[in-house]
Amino acid sequence: MFCYQCEQTDRSNVESGCATAKGMCGKDATTSDLQDLLIHGLEGIAQYAKRARALNVPDNAAGEFMLYGMFTTLTNVNFNPTRFSTLLQEAALVRDRVKASYITAALAADQMPEQLTGSAIWQPAADLDGLLKQAAEVGINAGLENVGPDIIGLRSLVLYGLKGVCAYAHHAYALGRESATVYTGIEDALDFLSSAPTDVDALLNQSMALGTLNLEVMALLDEANTGSFGAQQPTQVLVTPTPGKAILVSGHDLGDLAALLEQTKDTGINIYTHGEMLPAHAYPKLKAYSHLVGNYGGAWQDQQKEFTEFPGAILMTSNCIIEPQPQYRQRIFTAGPVGWPGVRHISDKNFAPLIQAAKALPGFKDAVSEKTITVGFGRDAVLGVADKVIEAVKSGAIRHFFLVGGCDGAASGRNYYTDFAEQAPQDTVIMTLGCAKYRFNQHDFGDIGGIPRLLDLGQCNDSYSAIKIATALAEAFECGVNELPLSLVVSWFEQKAAAVLLTLLALGIRNVRLGPTLPAFLTPNLVQVLVDKFGLLPNTTAQADIEASLSRKAA
Amino acid sequence: MNLHAIELTTRDGNQLRFECADNQNLLEAAANAHIVLPAQCGQGSCGTCYADVTHGEFTLGKHNPSALSAEDQAKGGTLLCCTFPHSDLNISLPFDNDRILIGEVKIRNAEISAIETVGENTLRLELCLVPDEDGCCLAEFEPGQFMELEVPGLAIKRAYSLSNTGNWEGRLEFLIRLQPGGLFSTWLKEQATVGQTLSVHGPKGAFGLYESGLRPRWFLAGGTGLAPMLSMLRHMADFQEPHPVRLYFGANRVEDLFCQSELKALQVELPQLQVIYCVWKPEDNWEGFQGTPVDALTQDLADAMVMPDIYLCGPPALIDAAEAAARAHGVPDKQVLSERFLPT
Repeated sequence: MFCYQCEQTDRSNVESGCATAKGMCGKDATTSDLQDLLIHGLEGIAQYAKRARALNVPDNAAGEFMLYGMFTTLTNVNFNPTRFSTLLQEAALVRDRVKASYITAALAADQMPEQLTGSAIWQPAADLDGLLKQAAEVGINAGLENVGPDIIGLRSLVLYGLKGVCAYAHHAYALGRESATVYTGIEDALDFLSSAPTDVDALLNQSMALGTLNLEVMALLDEANTGSFGAQQPTQVLVTPTPGKAILVSGHDLGDLAALLEQTKDTGINIYTHGEMLPAHAYPKLKAYSHLVGNYGGAWQDQQKEFTEFPGAILMTSNCIIEPQPQYRQRIFTAGPVGWPGVRHISDKNFAPLIQAAKALPGFKDAVSEKTITVGFGRDAVLGVADKVIEAVKSGAIRHFFLVGGCDGAASGRNYYTDFAEQAPQDTVIMTLGCAKYRFNQHDFGDIGGIPRLLDLGQCNDSYSAIKIATALAEAFECGVNELPLSLVVSWFEQKAAAVLLTLLALGIRNVRLGPTLPAFLTPNLVQVLVDKFGLLPNTTAQADIEASLSRKAA
Repeated sequence: MNLHAIELTTRDGNQLRFECADNQNLLEAAANAHIVLPAQCGQGSCGTCYADVTHGEFTLGKHNPSALSAEDQAKGGTLLCCTFPHSDLNISLPFDNDRILIGEVKIRNAEISAIETVGENTLRLELCLVPDEDGCCLAEFEPGQFMELEVPGLAIKRAYSLSNTGNWEGRLEFLIRLQPGGLFSTWLKEQATVGQTLSVHGPKGAFGLYESGLRPRWFLAGGTGLAPMLSMLRHMADFQEPHPVRLYFGANRVEDLFCQSELKALQVELPQLQVIYCVWKPEDNWEGFQGTPVDALTQDLADAMVMPDIYLCGPPALIDAAEAAARAHGVPDKQVLSERFLPT
């Protein structure tokens, strides 16, 4: 295996990357190699799908398969080699279907069908050993000796950004939203990757195109979330347990949560959110269920301890799963793109086995003194008090905004974000999103003239809200986003963060601080390009970075 | 007394470390560090705690030669319960991290809910866990694992593989061959009744399904070696796992076969399952395979396009013969997984 797609990739050698029997995330070499091959298979579908779409025979079902397939390869999503072996065979069948409709359409239009090569003509080997041999030819490092590390790094930036775009698009799809523009962009990007591109400008342009596409995808997802469940409202959420039987729901899929809430109403089972599911409490149609009682635990990297201690059943709806421990393997369930060998998977939103498990488990017994936090400052809530916010900025009561958000992780360098939030001066407001917030969201930040100093915008999926808020503030102050008293401090871990970063760069937003470490796939040359072209800033120390932000030195 | 650093690497690449004195066996030292490794008898008899030492020096204490073949021993194989280190050791474990329990083995009470004769000298024993203080009776185990059953007052503890799958009703099912004169067998045959209470220790054991993509899975069982195979097949049916799969089920005589109706029911849920009944000394009208399951395996391996993952369970002679057949046909060692039924 070779994989360096996430932040925790092995950096103990000169060449960063996980390349032994098992990656840092727990993904074994077989699964990693099959994921590489699946991407190759999806590129083959895209080659035909793009051309079929151009001839007015789009195949959105193939588009959805690509979203799902890409999503399964994100960090901490699917670890099941059996699932990938099956997906590889399915990929070839989907490709053949799209190919057939392309050829028919081309001939009908009096065109000679193109003779496509590479991934377009790949046939999955019949057995695992054969698949692994094929995978060895198509990993991210394929062609490294000919094109050099900078080109491989740029291809990685495109691929990983694209994975993030696909994950967000799949979340929107799960709530019934899809878009031809989005499928077109994804097919273009996969087709581009399948051509083994070597031109730096073309690769950078594709990255920016994905950033722009991702903005559209996030808008679609925002519309899916708010359209399905209403706009987020500031809401007090209990972070202490309530006596009674319990189910914990983790991941990002609000649709799965909604289905489970409906299936558990009147059963006496309490539903808790975990990790990125926390913002669910702010959506009117979800919080209407009185048995959505609270939030349990912290960010994903603490799940082995927290799930062991949780006295109920657990549902993992999207990333981030890590190896289920024997203490809870029999009571954790996966849904959607998630998978772990030997862990029960629910693919049809029929959560009966999960509910049965919860009934058989003890649940919480003792009442404890209650503690709450406030979530739900999506764009509607924040912009609803825009006048107050603008007035506070004008009067000098609010000196600066920080957006401190993104993914959390286990690395000790992530204390930077705790320090940053807690050390930010009292006349600054901290907006946050993603699971990085668990580092500081139980800290009492106080308020500025009634405006809470900590505003939780939602999931990482809600980055769109942050962009909307920034754009609205810029309009109000009649300036560009880069001129606002706003600094972005982004904590990344996996590929959805890569997609959001590309969106920020594509929007021309400068001086984004990225940490805790820079992606291993960005070579020193590529980092320099991002620094020169986009003003990207690596982290230093929290205190120094706060001071630099407040002095508003443009990079 | 010297302390040595022991490093374990699981099949799926996880590493665990603990210290072991030179007068202490590795299994005990691991348990002292709250690392509970799959094991059963703790005295070199059963072979459950097999592992490979990849680096370092050690003494292997008294053990049953049937539990550790000379071939395995020659390549560094050992039984952790009777391995005493002379130096730091690196050890490769033939199972995944999920079989290692951090903490303590559970002991629960269970009531006999059914005892049924399923074949000559073979019983199906069904237990139901007694609800714990929270009113819960979860039967949590992985397919392929075993539990130790203890009869109160008798001071006998015997290990039996589970034949059902994990569930939330507390059901535990075992297939037990009655050993002539065996203490537990005698108790089971003569005294055990529905409603009686046993204590159950576990789950334990490393035997179980190995995820390796869609490689075919061939299960080979002799006698009550069928129990863990049933558990794994039921798991495959439950999870709708798509692997090509076959079961070689061997017995000496036709009347020694059992669970045919259960296997037929499984074939409905797991349509790709082929069942090959192998009878060593059948009557004249037997239409199935005549010979041992190893004979059938040998014959089929010769025609196999893809080398399958092979799961073996039964008496040591059967396992040794099957392993030899697999090696002779070029099946890599890591694709052969086994559980030996040895008297303890």
